[in-house]
Amino acid sequence: MGTFSSYLRTIIDLGRSEASKDGSATVEAQHLLLALAVGPDAAPRQLLAEAGLDHAAIRAALSREFQHSLAAAGVTVDASDLPAPSYPDEPAPHLGTSARLALERGMDATARKNPRPAHLLAGILLAQVGTVPRALELVGIDRAALAERARRAASS
Amino acid sequence: MSGTEITISSAADALAGVAALRRLADRLEDAAVEQAMRTGWGWPQVAEALGVTRQAVHKKHAKRLIAVGVELRRR
Repeated sequence: MGTFSSYLRTIIDLGRSEASKDGSATVEAQHLLLALAVGPDAAPRQLLAEAGLDHAAIRAALSREFQHSLAAAGVTVDASDLPAPSYPDEPAPHLGTSARLALERGMDATARKNPRPAHLLAGILLAQVGTVPRALELVGIDRAALAERARRAASS
Repeated sequence: MSGTEITISSAADALAGVAALRRLADRLEDAAVEQAMRTGWGWPQVAEALGVTRQAVHKKHAKRLIAVGVELRRR
């Protein structure tokens, strides 16, 4: 449990840095997913890598989701044309709703007894709507199957 | 969530579009306020241009702009 707590703290800290790179005031599920892809535990990294998702691939998928969703609202932007505000190198302070939901979903009753890093990945992947599932769908990832693999890896 | 798949899918697109527009607007606001403050605007002008109160714009942007080294005019 001590080990998992310190892993979770590391992932949240990494997620905070990802959020601040986005200029996001809150850490969201996508920032935790990016954190898992570079985090200290091999299990989530490997599950993601097997699906073709390293950190850069997740960033690319998220960027595609942003453009795609803007297009759904009738707005076409080239991300490279957007002005780039300066953001301090300070981690975002708060967990946002999607990150909280991911943690709740990952830490179900069984996971709470013996929490493992792959539970966190499963929790993020269990969301059916929102930025992460849309981004993964756009790059052809079977999210539900990957969530199930993560859940099994966590309990093995 | 119920109804046909087409309804669900277009509702998902519509909601995601709103979320993406908010993110885009936040990013544009961050850049525009920074640009204004770097070129000598004061908080009251920026607030009036955005149509929000001076307190709101200050609360949202002052800490970030100070952290990235923008010299701010007094309120």
